[in-house]
Amino acid sequence: MTGRQPTGREPASAAQAALDRLRGRALPKNHDARTISALAANPGCARRALMDAAGVDKQRVAAQAGFPAPFGQSRFAIVRGNSFEAQVKENGAAQLLTLLRDLLGLDVSEVGYADFNDVGGNTTAEVRHRHTRHVLTAPDQPGRTLLDHPLLRLKVGGRLAYLEPDLIALRLDGTFHVIEIKSFAVIDGQADPGKVAAAAIQSAVYVRALRDLVSEAGGDPAAVSHATILVAPRDFSSQPTAASLDVRRQLGVLDRQLSRIASIEDLLAQYPSTLTFDLDPDAQGRPRRPAGELTDAIGQVAANYAPECLATCELCFLCRDEAVGTTGALGKPVREDLGGIEYIAQARSLARGQVPAPEQAEIAAQLLRAAQLREQVLAEAVEPP
Amino acid sequence: MIGPVAETIEALERRIDELRVAVREAVLAGDRALAGQRRSALRSAERAWEDALDEAAPGQTETSGQTETSGQTETSGQTETSGQSEASDAPDHPSARAGSLLPLREQVYEALSLLQMPAAPKLIATVHEAFFGATFPTTRVTSLKRDEERSFRTAPFARPYYICAALSADYLAPSRGLLAVSTWPLELRVIGSLSPRVDFLTAAIRVAEAIERIPEPPAAARRLLERFAASVSGAISPGGGADPAAVSEAARAELAVHRDADARVRRAAAERARGLHHAEQLFGTAVFRDRAGDGADTPDGADVQGGADHAAGPDSAGRAAAE
Repeated sequence: MTGRQPTGREPASAAQAALDRLRGRALPKNHDARTISALAANPGCARRALMDAAGVDKQRVAAQAGFPAPFGQSRFAIVRGNSFEAQVKENGAAQLLTLLRDLLGLDVSEVGYADFNDVGGNTTAEVRHRHTRHVLTAPDQPGRTLLDHPLLRLKVGGRLAYLEPDLIALRLDGTFHVIEIKSFAVIDGQADPGKVAAAAIQSAVYVRALRDLVSEAGGDPAAVSHATILVAPRDFSSQPTAASLDVRRQLGVLDRQLSRIASIEDLLAQYPSTLTFDLDPDAQGRPRRPAGELTDAIGQVAANYAPECLATCELCFLCRDEAVGTTGALGKPVREDLGGIEYIAQARSLARGQVPAPEQAEIAAQLLRAAQLREQVLAEAVEPP
Repeated sequence: MIGPVAETIEALERRIDELRVAVREAVLAGDRALAGQRRSALRSAERAWEDALDEAAPGQTETSGQTETSGQTETSGQTETSGQSEASDAPDHPSARAGSLLPLREQVYEALSLLQMPAAPKLIATVHEAFFGATFPTTRVTSLKRDEERSFRTAPFARPYYICAALSADYLAPSRGLLAVSTWPLELRVIGSLSPRVDFLTAAIRVAEAIERIPEPPAAARRLLERFAASVSGAISPGGGADPAAVSEAARAELAVHRDADARVRRAAAERARGLHHAEQLFGTAVFRDRAGDGADTPDGADVQGGADHAAGPDSAGRAAAE
């Protein structure tokens, strides 16, 4: 779908050949900040790890398998996000400067502003990235404080993904802080935890990429702070507010996930060399592979479905369908509470008093007790006072 | 937009045809007085047709005035002279109509002249609404710059002023989203890294001064000042609200911090910009435009290769400024 960007391929290895085979005849899909953060959102999912490493176009695969996901950001959300970002940045980022001065004690003299949206009118990724690298790392650079849309890149599974912090990275006392501008409201100091978590992981992706850039240039990666800044509308107004987000945990998950993709051989070794997600396209590129066959191929790689996948993964409907009846489909907390029980039906029969297997004795006792309590409460509720 | 204009023009064309027939009939009937009257009606209709065509050309939306004029010419067969004067005068007195009928470029010019610094379409529209009582969609402003550039390239300096680009200090390319006026000194039109803030503070001062000049500033102007004040430290009065003098003073205080460094960068960049062609001085260099895009008007090939190395020049100037 997206055109192939200049990709820095690693030397053609056996693993790369295997990944190319998995992807089939389609062009590799490049990662962006969203897909990379989605990787870290569900680190236990082998299906996603494998497909992402191979650059499979999951959207098309899901559609061909009969589970098209109405996936992608809502157009309204994009427009709202863009207009809020434009508002915060307009007039030399006047609103943002005020926020940073109030909340972080930014010095009055720190107002230098650099725009990386184009380089003298050139908007190609390669040129913008070079310019970003030059401005961020060359020793003779003037002190710029606000960097608007720098273009970073991150190596994922041997391919370079260009990342455009949908925000500004800022230099404060020689340290870089990634700023993420989001359009969800922070009401009375509280925001939707799911959205904050998504923003945190996305910021972590930028921190990772920025650290790579700094260390490649021989700098100290610690110059990129793990304390990122989230800017969002305050309460029900369009006035921005800012909060600091510590992304150390997300960085850890991300690093683990990236190294897992890098050592994809281990994962690849578990699957037959005939496995492929090729869609068997005809001359016009229309997929011809039968849905059943494709679903079987996908089914060979284990997924780790959780309801959160619905927000981050194109294959979510397929995996949800597959996961019907499992405790995981009810969410991570339920699965953890019902440790060791895979299916909902099994949990129900244990609660009804079925004799448990020895290793399930403990959870069975809890389920039994819970069922009794429920009966009791329901009975009391039905009886007239 | 095309619809009503085309309709007016078509109505006029029908009217012209009818009048020609009428003139012929009067001449053949030997009625000289009537023929004279109808000739003059024909001339005024033709003039109105020319005007309507002119208005349609630059994409102007306001044609209602024209429709009325043509209607008048049609109905008042006896009073051609008055019809004629109205038809020819209407475009020359736009202020007689609603305020927004002033050509877009003049509205932009008014707002920019008040600010005296390069500004984004949104700010220009807000300032115009606050002080001149009429606003316009910012999308139209974007195409305005293109029209101005085309006009300048076809007939350089044919107009007293052009709405042009602000230039980025590093590559002297058009600075994203900023508009300026061609008659301003180059130092004002180049944008270094400190310039966005300096220009913002300057705008705050200009708006405050403009409000002080008006005995009873409109509510929109006061709101605009409050928005500026919210982003200048110490500009909000203790009781809330924004006092023009206080805003102006606070902005000047911060401006003093950045002004010298910014001026150095801008002077150096302006010096380099003077070496460019006139069109490039106004609308920016095109050497870096995507080659796939409209890089056709690249002035000389040498710059394309040397472009990446150019960075050293402006950046060292910037460093001098930062120190």
